[in-house]
Order: sequence, then structure tokens, then C-alpha cells
Amino acid sequence: MTQQSPETWLNDYGDLLYRYALLRVRSETTAEDLVQETLLAGFVSWDKFTGKSSVSTWLVGILKHKIIDFFRKHRHEVKQIQTDELADDILAYQFDNEGNWQVDLVEWDMPDTQMNQQQFSKIFNMCISRLPQRMADLLFLRSIENVPMTECCDLLGFESDNQLWVTLSRTRVKLRQCLNTHWFEQG
Amino acid sequence: MRHCKQIVDLVSQEMESKLPWSIRMEVKMHLLMCKNCHRYAKQLKFMQAELNTLEQNLNTVSLAEPAKERIKKTLTLAINESTND
Repeated sequence: MTQQSPETWLNDYGDLLYRYALLRVRSETTAEDLVQETLLAGFVSWDKFTGKSSVSTWLVGILKHKIIDFFRKHRHEVKQIQTDELADDILAYQFDNEGNWQVDLVEWDMPDTQMNQQQFSKIFNMCISRLPQRMADLLFLRSIENVPMTECCDLLGFESDNQLWVTLSRTRVKLRQCLNTHWFEQG
Repeated sequence: MRHCKQIVDLVSQEMESKLPWSIRMEVKMHLLMCKNCHRYAKQLKFMQAELNTLEQNLNTVSLAEPAKERIKKTLTLAINESTND
């Protein structure tokens, strides 16, 4: 197979890789760095490319590893996280002492038109950006990327699977609450 | 009987892992009887679907020109170095 030029990859797949990284690390400069690292790694290991998948799929595969490495390097300070995550404890005012809902949940009218959908996406992104960092990371790693449990615990500093499940559930409660306030109750 | 707060955690966990049959049945029964938890479960599913489409919504985002130039320079440098070896 002939050597391909990483500069061509940059033109052809740069945006694709950038979007992929940006969604997961939520920082423009980090995402740009990851694209660069991925293209360099692709260039160095080109002889390992078997041609079984497309070049773009292969590059995204490399990028995935780079993203995981990024999380590993920036492992969160666990103490700081716990105070962040426990701050303004949402569960306390969603449930009473017996663990039942304090207020009735309203039925959501799902966004139907295209314009509606666009505005909703904005709110959705805003609510994600309001989550404590580790909670947002967890949402992406576990519920979108399907990173295996042990690796997720290791990367994000959870001591047990159970701690991870509980935190993921709290993350969803928080996200739901934010959407409810800023979108569904506005209607 | 589990209370709503526990069901909320189980509904979330069920989205990524397979729960034992007896617990799944318990959750199912609870959701049939409890309007709030039923709505909660439905809303989580909707949120998950939205998460999965975030990528498509980024369609208009692209690498900034200066970043592209910078990356291109680095790549060219690396390629030249490796061919000089």
C-alpha cells in the first residue's frame, strides 16, 4: 500500500476528527492537539493499516485511544470532585426522606419542529456544560463511548462499580432537572 | 418494596448493564404503578437519544484555519524528519 500523506488526511478528515474530539473533551485547544497527535500517530504506524476499514475509521480508532490517554493524564483530583458533585445536592429536593418524589414530574412535550430542535440542542448543551466535570466525562465515556466499567472506574477515579452507577444516575437526575427547568417548563 | 429513589438508580443502570431478571421485573412493576417514575424513565430514554445525536448537530463545526495551519506545519516537519533518517 502506498504511503498516504497526513496533510491529505488533515484536509479530508481534519474536521471529522476535530468534531469527534471536541464532543468528548469539550475544549477546542485540546481537541486540536488531539487531531494533531492522531495524524502523527497515523503517519508513524501507517504500515499497520490493513485496509480492512476505511482510513477515516482507522484514524477515528487512533483518536479514541488518544482521548482515553488524555483522560488518564488528567485524572481528576478525587477529593475536589466529591465536593463538586455533592454541592447543591439535587437529590435532597427531588426526593423526601422516604425516597419518594417530592413533586410530580410533568410530561415532556418533545421538540417537534426543526427550529424547536435546534433551540433545544442549545439548551441541552448548556445543561451538559453545567454538570460538574467528572459527571460530564462519565456521561460521555460510559453512556456514549461504552468504555468498559473497569477502565471507566480507573480513568475517573471511582472506587467501585456501584459508586460509578450511583454517580451516573445522579448525573442524569441533574441533567433532567436542568432540561426541565430551562426547556420544558418554559413552553 | 423499593422506593422511587432506588428505582431511579436502577432505571439508569439498566441503560448500560443487564440487571438480574428479578430486579428487572421489580422495576417494570414499579413503573406500571408509579406515574412519576414512569415519566422519569421515559425522559431518560429521550435524553439518551439526544446525547447520541449530539455528534450530528456538530456538523457545522470545523477546525479553525490557524489551527489547521499549525497542525500542517507540525506534520510537514515530522515527515521531513522521518525521511531524513
